Amino acid sequence: MRRRRQRPVPPVNEQSSDAELLRAVAAEQTAALRILHHRHAGWLRARLRRRCADPDVIDAAIQDTFVAVWDDAHRYEERAADAAAWLWTIAVRRLVSALRGPAHRWLSDPAADLSDDVATTPSAEELVLLGVEHGALGPALDRLSPELRSLIEATALDGLTVREAAKLFGIPEGTAKSRLTRARTRLRELLT
Amino acid sequence: MTTVTVSGLSKHYGARTALDSVDMTIDVGVTGLLGPNGAGKSTLLRCLATALAPDDGSIRVSGLDPAVPAQRTEVRRRIGYLPQNPGLYPNFTAYDLLDYVAVLKEITETRRRRAEVRRVLGEVELTDRAKTKVRKLSGGMRQRLGLAQALLGDPALVILDEPTVGLDPEQRMLFRALVSRLGERRTVLLSTHQTEDVGALCERVVVMSGGRVIFEGSPRELAGVAEGQVWLSEEPPKGSTAYWRNADGLYRTIGRQPAGAEATRPSIEDGYLLLLGAAAAAEVAR
Amino acid sequence: MTAEWHVDSELREQYERGALEPSRLMAVEAHMLACAGCRGEIQVDITWLTGNFSVVYDNIHAPRIGPVQRLLARVGLPEHRWLLLTATPALRWSWLAATIAVLGLAIAGSLLSWSGDPGAASTLFLVLAPILPVIAVSGAYGPAVDPMHEITGTTPSAGPALVLWRAVAVISIATVMAAVAGLLMPGPGWLAAAGWLLPALLLCTGTLALATILSLPVAASVLGGLWLTGLLAVQQAQEEVFVPTLFGPSAQISYLAAAAVAAAVLFRRRSRFDLGESR
Repeated sequence: MRRRRQRPVPPVNEQSSDAELLRAVAAEQTAALRILHHRHAGWLRARLRRRCADPDVIDAAIQDTFVAVWDDAHRYEERAADAAAWLWTIAVRRLVSALRGPAHRWLSDPAADLSDDVATTPSAEELVLLGVEHGALGPALDRLSPELRSLIEATALDGLTVREAAKLFGIPEGTAKSRLTRARTRLRELLT
Repeated sequence: MTTVTVSGLSKHYGARTALDSVDMTIDVGVTGLLGPNGAGKSTLLRCLATALAPDDGSIRVSGLDPAVPAQRTEVRRRIGYLPQNPGLYPNFTAYDLLDYVAVLKEITETRRRRAEVRRVLGEVELTDRAKTKVRKLSGGMRQRLGLAQALLGDPALVILDEPTVGLDPEQRMLFRALVSRLGERRTVLLSTHQTEDVGALCERVVVMSGGRVIFEGSPRELAGVAEGQVWLSEEPPKGSTAYWRNADGLYRTIGRQPAGAEATRPSIEDGYLLLLGAAAAAEVAR
Repeated sequence: MTAEWHVDSELREQYERGALEPSRLMAVEAHMLACAGCRGEIQVDITWLTGNFSVVYDNIHAPRIGPVQRLLARVGLPEHRWLLLTATPALRWSWLAATIAVLGLAIAGSLLSWSGDPGAASTLFLVLAPILPVIAVSGAYGPAVDPMHEITGTTPSAGPALVLWRAVAVISIATVMAAVAGLLMPGPGWLAAAGWLLPALLLCTGTLALATILSLPVAASVLGGLWLTGLLAVQQAQEEVFVPTLFGPSAQISYLAAAAVAAAVLFRRRSRFDLGESR
């Protein structure tokens, strides 16, 4: 069901805020979707590239994202989320569903393999607060095993649910949960 | 390169003669077909667009003869036509309408058709109105949509019947800009009864009256027809009815010099009116 | 908070190259999610951007393909054909008219048979069923039913092929609907189920043949009217043998013969369906 337009939406331009653009998209203004796309497609692509090596899959995921935005823009107002975060959540889910199946090409991070064990539970906000120059968390994260780190990344940073992350990595949900707990404990140790 | 050749073209509706042995050639660029209502402009355009079969005479579009069924389809592949009353389905969105016409124009492959629809929407500046239903478009937008459907398939010959009728000045300007851009590499033939349209965008002009071609040439040559026959005076001229007061408060007369009047540079309209007057006189004399 | 720190060009370059260690990568991403400025610094090729958006644009504007179409595509009716067969408003109306007529007929038939007169029900059906495809075909093509006809008629698809395509499509659907209704009729099964088919064939080909002279709706009403008045006249003259006279074997053979003649006329005059030929 497509439910549309109650009151007229003012015209938008390059300077309009994301929320204004999304309201205009909900009122079926193609121009608003174009501005939104041109504003966000670049960083979405850069970030999706860190998750997937196939440019065609990435391009398709971005296209799917904005088609979904066109259909669902009216839902945006109901949530209090930031538009960029909302877009990212859609985009990463699109990528995950595109990659689902036996031959998934999700990139685990390229860094070296350190000791298997434990990590942290940093929320995205915590990471922002810490920044790169804050010493403790960085090395701790780097010392996590790749599989624990990917799980942290998928849940804390990409906003996937544990179930989605488990599906993505092809492991049972229970395993994912216990690994996440392990990662948390381990990070706490490394940070104190 | 001659795109269209017409010779001896005639069409009758019962006793009325709509086209009376018309000869003309049209080349790349914008050609204006000027004439009063009932002069036969629409009939000529409909014959050229293969919407109507003439009674007599021949048409060649890029050397092809639309009277032969097999070649007629070839002709249709080369033309885009905007009728005077296009009848665009009011409940279609702009996109769906173009999609449908694109199918009629044999652009059957979906990806190519979408690209083509997107291209013509961009060309007439309706990209952001694609989702709007035809009945909700303004008159000017609807006319641009009509132009867009004519441009599908990139035809070499574009035929526009009275495309500027009913447009406000702003829309008219936009439409003229679009059409003059088209004339850069295509043959565009448009009918109008507005001399301003001709002056603003046509390289050539053909004047019709009573189903005949009474003038063929450049807009400058059309104005030149009235050279030495247009006068300005401060008093209303005596013994003449063909005069009007212009914005400077002077009286403008076409024809013989009234007493105390000075010659002035003729406009396209002057030439046009003089031609029509002469044609009417000739008609009476016959 | 984060206002003090932004992703500088070196860090951004490393990020885009994929050269950052995990913790810094995560930090850059987390920061970018919160900072429009740093997001905007990521360079993107305008050609890629417009190309990517054009797919989005097509997706949101192009008509979405419904399940019926998908099914038809699978049995060999491509999307563009479907568009040609369903696009004009008049075509949609004539589909609707035919459907409603069939429903009405079915209801009238069952009412009559319940009221204890199954013979009248099947006679009514035999008389009216052949007209249904004619109603359907009347909206298929032409200036009278298509406001965009002047445009349609000057495209390369115009001409007899398009008329016949549309006519065949509407006729076959209407025929199938009438056939289903016929099976539900009371009375001698074969007659109601099949007796009207040849008259319908005659009326349809006759309508199309006549439409090379008149417009389709006029041709349809002329022939439909002739059929009804003719039947009425016969009924008045010989009421008791009405059905055998008009739907018996010899009558059926003459319908078939007449339909063949109409088809031959249609074939010879098919080029008249082109608008380029004035009427």
